[in-house]
Amino acid sequence: MPKRWEVYPGKSQVLCSGRCISAKNLSVFYLTLALIVISSCLFLAFDCRLLAVTLSPSVPVLAAVQFIFVLCCLLRTTFSDPGIIPRGTPDEAAWIESQLEGPQVDRDGNYRPPVRLKDVQINGRVFKLKYCFTCKLWRPPRSSHCSTCDNCVDRFDHHCPWVGNCVGRRNYRYFYLFLISLSVYCLYVMVFGIVNLVLLSNMRKDFLMAMKESPTSVLTILVAFFSIWSVVGLGGFHTMLICRETSTNEDIKGSFNQRRHPDLINPFDQGNGLANCCFVLFGPVTPSLLNFREDEIGLGSSISLVTNNGRNGASAAAASTAVTATPAVRYSNLTRNNNDAASNSVGHVNNSVQVISESLPAQLPGDGNDVIVKNGNGAPADGVISGGTDAVGAQNSNTQSASSVHCIV
Amino acid sequence: ILRSRLFRRNLLLIMGSRPAAQVGHSRKVYIQRDYSQGLGLRYSTAMPPQLQDRMPEDLFEAAIVNINQILAGAENGSVGVYAESCFACLTGYLIYMCMDTHFERSLKEVRKLIEEYNRTVFMPRRLMMIDPSERGLRVIEVVLLS
Repeated sequence: MPKRWEVYPGKSQVLCSGRCISAKNLSVFYLTLALIVISSCLFLAFDCRLLAVTLSPSVPVLAAVQFIFVLCCLLRTTFSDPGIIPRGTPDEAAWIESQLEGPQVDRDGNYRPPVRLKDVQINGRVFKLKYCFTCKLWRPPRSSHCSTCDNCVDRFDHHCPWVGNCVGRRNYRYFYLFLISLSVYCLYVMVFGIVNLVLLSNMRKDFLMAMKESPTSVLTILVAFFSIWSVVGLGGFHTMLICRETSTNEDIKGSFNQRRHPDLINPFDQGNGLANCCFVLFGPVTPSLLNFREDEIGLGSSISLVTNNGRNGASAAAASTAVTATPAVRYSNLTRNNNDAASNSVGHVNNSVQVISESLPAQLPGDGNDVIVKNGNGAPADGVISGGTDAVGAQNSNTQSASSVHCIV
Repeated sequence: ILRSRLFRRNLLLIMGSRPAAQVGHSRKVYIQRDYSQGLGLRYSTAMPPQLQDRMPEDLFEAAIVNINQILAGAENGSVGVYAESCFACLTGYLIYMCMDTHFERSLKEVRKLIEEYNRTVFMPRRLMMIDPSERGLRVIEVVLLS
């Protein structure tokens, strides 16, 4: 039975047996990694020798801490699931596409492609939901299809080649943290590189001499200087986006641009910038919906539901004869106590099927009177299939028709 | 063993990822997400017409509303959830190797609830509801069994 990551249809790269996911082409990511690691190593190895002695040993320590933090944020952004929405099953696709108007030729002979939009009102603002033909699902608002990775990503921001992954709902905060920490770190490295050169030139009384003595400082300062422009710029841009509770994708498309469309409001805006910041950076995050480490059976709980509660021996025997007759599901003796569920469980499913009294109402409305089960005599049994009684839906074989009804639950 | 394998194979046919045309007697109905209240996890309580002859509308709606309630609780925080997240952050998120997040616990609750509903409400009406986690939280699938 293959695992889900082995049958993953998108263009992303799945690593570590389904534990990590990133874009297929990581070459620019390696460049980013190399720049950060090499300049940090050069800084720590060469510049800090003088700085630790002259200024304080905390200078290299702080640099090391920041370096590790930047690396952690970068790796977390690159290898975590950005919020990929798993593709729809073929049955779902058939159901939805049958409800869309198909491609038509209208009276003028013009071809009209199938309509794939539907309107939805969110907090007073009309959104157009798009149907993604590749992923076979109605795209949630704010999500978008990434063509590089070939999957739909929830709250899609952009696909960042420097980071080697899409930036979406689940890894946006780590991306932002990476930007902020990298800008601080670049500034730190540049400042202390310059300080190192100044101290050296003071000791040698000649700036050019100092530069020749410590060429790596010059290299580090240049790398940091050029990085700062782009990283700080991007960091500032994303800070503004966060305060406005919008994504890069929406900013580019002008979805919430009030200057162009004055009556467009952002229905996700919480009111003030600080509240938006708190929500985006510290708000709840859905777990990964991909579930790569599970078996791809396309059934999940339905198999476990049906096999683990029935007594497999007796029910299978009763069912198999009927199964070969027609493909209908057979029901066998349905009793209340399903304590042998554990022995028949499939994988990860939690098998305690006791009545969850705190989350289920005592009786669902209308449940008491509309389910009547016929027993072998053809007379309606008085068991109600809910709540307390056992031997409900007892083995009833309607001998007139071939389809006997046995409950396997 | 062979008999149960046959049985499981038939189940796979009915509920698996094969196209609807091959399934034969069983049909499926999909309940989509409801975005009218925002991006939170909610499913539409509108009853599809194919189910109308099999179960009363208020029963169906109550079931979906209960599921929506648990899912809403999954995304909202409370003091306990914040404390748990802070504690997890302090341990470097290593604690999540031993326990589930609040969201995952809520999803497990939804799964238990749906199993209970299947046992008491849907199966007797020849219906079966599939946990939305199995479908990537896109849809709730209801299988019409023949």
